[in-house]
Amino acid sequence: MAKDGEKSDWKEFLWNPRTREFLGRTASSWGLIFLFYLIFYTCLAGMFALTMYVMLQTLDEHRPTWQDRLSTPGLVIRPRADDTFEIVYTKEDTESWDLYAQTLDKFLQPYNDSLQAQKNHECAPDKYFIQEDSGEVKNNPKRSCQFNRTVLQSCSGIDDRYYGYREGQPCIIIKLNRVIGLLPGKDNQAPYVTCAAKKYRVGKDQWKDDADKIGELIYFPPNGTINSMYFPYYGKKAQVNYSQPLVAVKFLNITHNEDVNIECKINAENIPVGGERDKFAGRVSFKLRINSKN
Amino acid sequence: MGYGKSDSYRVATTQDKDDRSPKKKKGATKDMDDLKKEVPITEHKMSVEEVCRKFQTDLVQGLTNAKAAEFLLRDGPNALTPPPTTPEWVKFCRQLFGGFSILLWTGAILCFLAYAIQAATEDEPAGDNLYLGIVLTAVVVITGCFSYFQEAKSSKIMESFKNMVPQQALVIREGEKVQINAEEVVAGDLIEVKGGDRIPADIRVTSAHGCKVDNSSLTGESEPQSRSPDCTHDNPLETRNVAFFSTNCVEGTARGIVICTGDRTVMGRIATLTSGLETGKTPIAVEIEHFIHIITGVAVFLGVTFFILAIILGYTWLEAVIFLIGIIVANVPEGLLATVTVCLTLTAKRMAKKNCLVKNLEAVETLGSTSTICSDKTGTLTQNRMTVAHMWFDNQIHEADTTEDQSGAAFDKSSVTWLSLSRVAALCNRAQFKAGQDSVSILKRDVAGDASESALLKCIELSCGSVRMMRDKNKKVAEIPFNSTNKYQLSVHETEDPNDNRYLLVMKGAPERILDRCSTIMLQGKEQPMDEEMKEAFQNAYMELGGLGERVLGFCHLLLPEDQYPKGFAFDTDDVNFQTDNLCFVGLMSMIDPPRAAVPDAVGKCRSAGIKVIMVTGDHPITAKAIAKGVGIISEGNETVEDIAARLNIPVSQVNPRDAKACVIHGSDLKDLSQDQMDDILRNHTEIVFARTSPQQKLIIVEGCQRLGAIVAVTGDGVNDSPALKKADIGVAMGISGSDVSKQAADMILLDDNFASIVTGVEEGRLIFDNLKKSIAYTLTSNIPEITPFLFFIIVNIPLPLGTITILCIDLGTDMVPAISLAYEAAESDIMKRQPRNPSRDKLVNERLISIAYGQIGMIQALGGFFSYFVILAENGFLPSQLVGIRLNWDDRSLNDLEDSYGQQWTYEQRKIVEFTCHTAFFVSIVVVQWADLIICKTRRNSVFQQGMKNKILIFGLFEETALAAFLSYCPGMDVALRMYPLKPTWWFCAFPYSFLIFVYDEARKLILRRNPGGWVEKETYY
Repeated sequence: MAKDGEKSDWKEFLWNPRTREFLGRTASSWGLIFLFYLIFYTCLAGMFALTMYVMLQTLDEHRPTWQDRLSTPGLVIRPRADDTFEIVYTKEDTESWDLYAQTLDKFLQPYNDSLQAQKNHECAPDKYFIQEDSGEVKNNPKRSCQFNRTVLQSCSGIDDRYYGYREGQPCIIIKLNRVIGLLPGKDNQAPYVTCAAKKYRVGKDQWKDDADKIGELIYFPPNGTINSMYFPYYGKKAQVNYSQPLVAVKFLNITHNEDVNIECKINAENIPVGGERDKFAGRVSFKLRINSKN
Repeated sequence: MGYGKSDSYRVATTQDKDDRSPKKKKGATKDMDDLKKEVPITEHKMSVEEVCRKFQTDLVQGLTNAKAAEFLLRDGPNALTPPPTTPEWVKFCRQLFGGFSILLWTGAILCFLAYAIQAATEDEPAGDNLYLGIVLTAVVVITGCFSYFQEAKSSKIMESFKNMVPQQALVIREGEKVQINAEEVVAGDLIEVKGGDRIPADIRVTSAHGCKVDNSSLTGESEPQSRSPDCTHDNPLETRNVAFFSTNCVEGTARGIVICTGDRTVMGRIATLTSGLETGKTPIAVEIEHFIHIITGVAVFLGVTFFILAIILGYTWLEAVIFLIGIIVANVPEGLLATVTVCLTLTAKRMAKKNCLVKNLEAVETLGSTSTICSDKTGTLTQNRMTVAHMWFDNQIHEADTTEDQSGAAFDKSSVTWLSLSRVAALCNRAQFKAGQDSVSILKRDVAGDASESALLKCIELSCGSVRMMRDKNKKVAEIPFNSTNKYQLSVHETEDPNDNRYLLVMKGAPERILDRCSTIMLQGKEQPMDEEMKEAFQNAYMELGGLGERVLGFCHLLLPEDQYPKGFAFDTDDVNFQTDNLCFVGLMSMIDPPRAAVPDAVGKCRSAGIKVIMVTGDHPITAKAIAKGVGIISEGNETVEDIAARLNIPVSQVNPRDAKACVIHGSDLKDLSQDQMDDILRNHTEIVFARTSPQQKLIIVEGCQRLGAIVAVTGDGVNDSPALKKADIGVAMGISGSDVSKQAADMILLDDNFASIVTGVEEGRLIFDNLKKSIAYTLTSNIPEITPFLFFIIVNIPLPLGTITILCIDLGTDMVPAISLAYEAAESDIMKRQPRNPSRDKLVNERLISIAYGQIGMIQALGGFFSYFVILAENGFLPSQLVGIRLNWDDRSLNDLEDSYGQQWTYEQRKIVEFTCHTAFFVSIVVVQWADLIICKTRRNSVFQQGMKNKILIFGLFEETALAAFLSYCPGMDVALRMYPLKPTWWFCAFPYSFLIFVYDEARKLILRRNPGGWVEKETYY
């Protein structure tokens, strides 16, 4: 009995034929409340759009308001390993490293000398390529300096199509994240990249590195230097064809069949060392393991 | 009527409640039904010898020790079984798993589950979910503990009322008198009681000497009842030869055989009936449950919808679970139940200061919803102190001052007749003040003696000075105490004048008996023969005073002629050897237990607050009606059926009951009413007095009111009230005069026994209900800016604008103090001028509140938060246009050169810091928009400019939440602990326009609401 009552209560709440109410409201009541919320939300959307518009007006077109989070630019390697930050392959197994070579091919495509010559300017090396606006007159678009693929020599993939992977002497390409207006190095002392064995923890308060396994390294361009002429960066709107400078590292006689932990970092006096938490600010670490069957 | 109210009180113990309330729950066991039936005592009808035989005891020697031990083993100790209490751990678990806790536990378990999955599948699992799980668990446990301790604190109040001193009883065993612990008394024990003792068990009196017991806690009669060995009535409660457990022996001594002990006593049965009654949830508990259902419903609906949506959108199970956690955390107002508890506690404290002690926190609000008050008369509405109200002498009625502070009218005290009258009243009076009370005002002094004699004593002491001196001057020579056959009391005194050797005979008693003994009457100090005219005047005065519900006494005196009664005459009071007729009538004095001074005003306030006040009393209808009229329960000009009949001079049966708004119903009539008739009476009469009611009938009245949908408050002090107290939505017991059983059964205790305190309770209850609405509206609003970030995160794949930790910081941090501060908000209008809320329509949380909080203000807040979010991302290089769909790359740990709108590249950690800065900014924005929300929540109808900003706690709350937000943002180490980052000062201002908009919008809404009462805005938005 009580249950039936409840059921009919529900039914009546859903649709009350007597008062013509759906969910406790008549059509006109529903209409009014919908109309109210429609107007209300339209007005709110208008207000939101207005504040957003005002905010966007305050922004500079070429340089973000705040850059303090980018004081230490990140360092990134190619070929980009997946989530694990590991480059592992077997020398004899072509398929295991072919993907790396392909990635590098693709990555270096825009650096082909011909393309660079076409788009970019040949700059005076060893000094910042500053292109200031003169007051209100914007000096846009800004020109960019050439970074030719050939600079990477044996890591350019031109002579050695497999970037040394086949020989067990792989090339890793390192790049410094773009930050607008960044002028690394003081007194035109160009920043350079160094790679070394990474210290890692093996037990409580016990640290170890693979310095004995890393073998000989060779940097392209020489000493891993990033030439000052590639700085500063003016942003993708003003400097459309900017070519990010690269540094290649070739591992000449790395110990095979063992994990080698490597850390590369940027050396420049005015780039602060990144925080403990961010493992990619001003440095990059990865694991290299080359398996070999003999 | 008249002296020594001899007609005994009829407790309708024969009332079988079951014929009358078929809706009684099936849970009521046979025991319960049995308890409501007649008291099965038959011993009063047996002879003493039969009783002795039945209990194997001896009238002189008492029980043997062996037998006593055997009976004790058989019947158990003579004590009331304490009402069953819930074990503490059950209470604690209820707090831990009640309310929102289940939802939060689900969240916490999901967190641990997610972490476990991560730990199993990943090498370096992120600790976020583990921490969140721990935090959620901590939140549930801490709020649970908090509520538990609050509850425990208020229930501890009761302990102070427990009688700690073990009671002693004087029993005769094996012929020796021994003092034993009252708990060891067994049936058959021979017991002696004397004045001042508490009766240790139900006793069949075998011998008594002037024994009087105070049955008020059992039957509601304030007059002490005399006890004797003779059976005077079939009903055990009315017969004189039974004295009841836990009543008090006022004077005299008695000896008797114990017939019932412990729970089998009459008192024990009522106590068991009381504790067996099931009581419903308090109105506020119902409201909170309703509200929890709504919120849980929304949370589960959103959670499940988005869980499914996430799966459809291609998220992994783990991600979908994490979204589910986020939605649950955002939806549940974690701090709200604690806030409600604190608000109720604050009100309970405020009420305790005003002498309303609340036993059960939730009962704080119940008085506010109360629509009917069933009030006991004695001690609650009245002072429970007989006071001389009127006097008739010199053929004129004089009014005595009955007010508590003696501010009333005085009468002419110069008349010689008055001097005589006062002399008679002072001398023919055995009452005297207890020693050592000189500093106490006369009205408050304790008196040893009968209630009416005390009233006379105080009256004379007040108007004529020391009675003791008067008695010293007029030495008492002989005395005949009152007995029910004579219905008078007389004493013979020496005169004040030492040269006058005559004796003065003074007499008082039932007026008609006194009049019979008089041949003359004193008028203006002169004796005049009592003629028919005077007799008629006397009759009129007697009728008039009696009609006021007052107890009338007649006074007469005579100076005995010296020639017949020379000095030294031996007056023999047993075999009266002196003149006791042809006396000189002096006057009448009438007494009443006057209403408390503040009661009429309080009843008036209840009236204007839409609360029906019903008087339910054990006293006589005439007295009850007189008091009801005096305090305004029957208001001036309203007539009962009987009044109309008397006015129109027609039989009662011809009067249309609809014409009478007031009615006085006798307990014996109530017995014959059907349920429909009862409903009819309760519905159609606004002013009702129930007289001569029994405990069971009180229960029926309360159930009747509840059946009509009323929320009923019951006030009472006696054990007879306790079933009704328990059954009522809120039982209010008296702190001073109340019996322990009634205090146990009640939810609230009036420390000053003053009905007027109830009005305070109603006011506070209504205020807290309004303020809780405001507090909930305030807290719920911030739910929308907490949920929307998650929804947008899932649907449009933007970086998460607000994290779970920051949500908890809002719910448990910044929102707490402001929400509590709303409990201190003053009322917007005169809350005592409106009708009590309708529990079925007027909900704590209704769709209008949700509409305002979620649909309107909450949306504005969410926009404010999103605006800050977009500002920070844009100023750091990520323009809004780029954000949609960026989530997959944004949350990719291995992508360390994510490009922003300017071409710069970001590592994972760098952009996460920006994201957490956004969380902080979103959090700060919510605080900023909550400023405006707090100010608009201060009022529901008035403008804040009318209400003012007088709530200091609220202002403190504003500063506190701001300071807390600043602390969380700027304190070093917060980036590690809570992942909150310092904000640029300008980012604080992002939400200001929205805060301002909230204020303006709501002020406009309230303006329209006030301008168009009953209009669309009110119907849709007034919560």
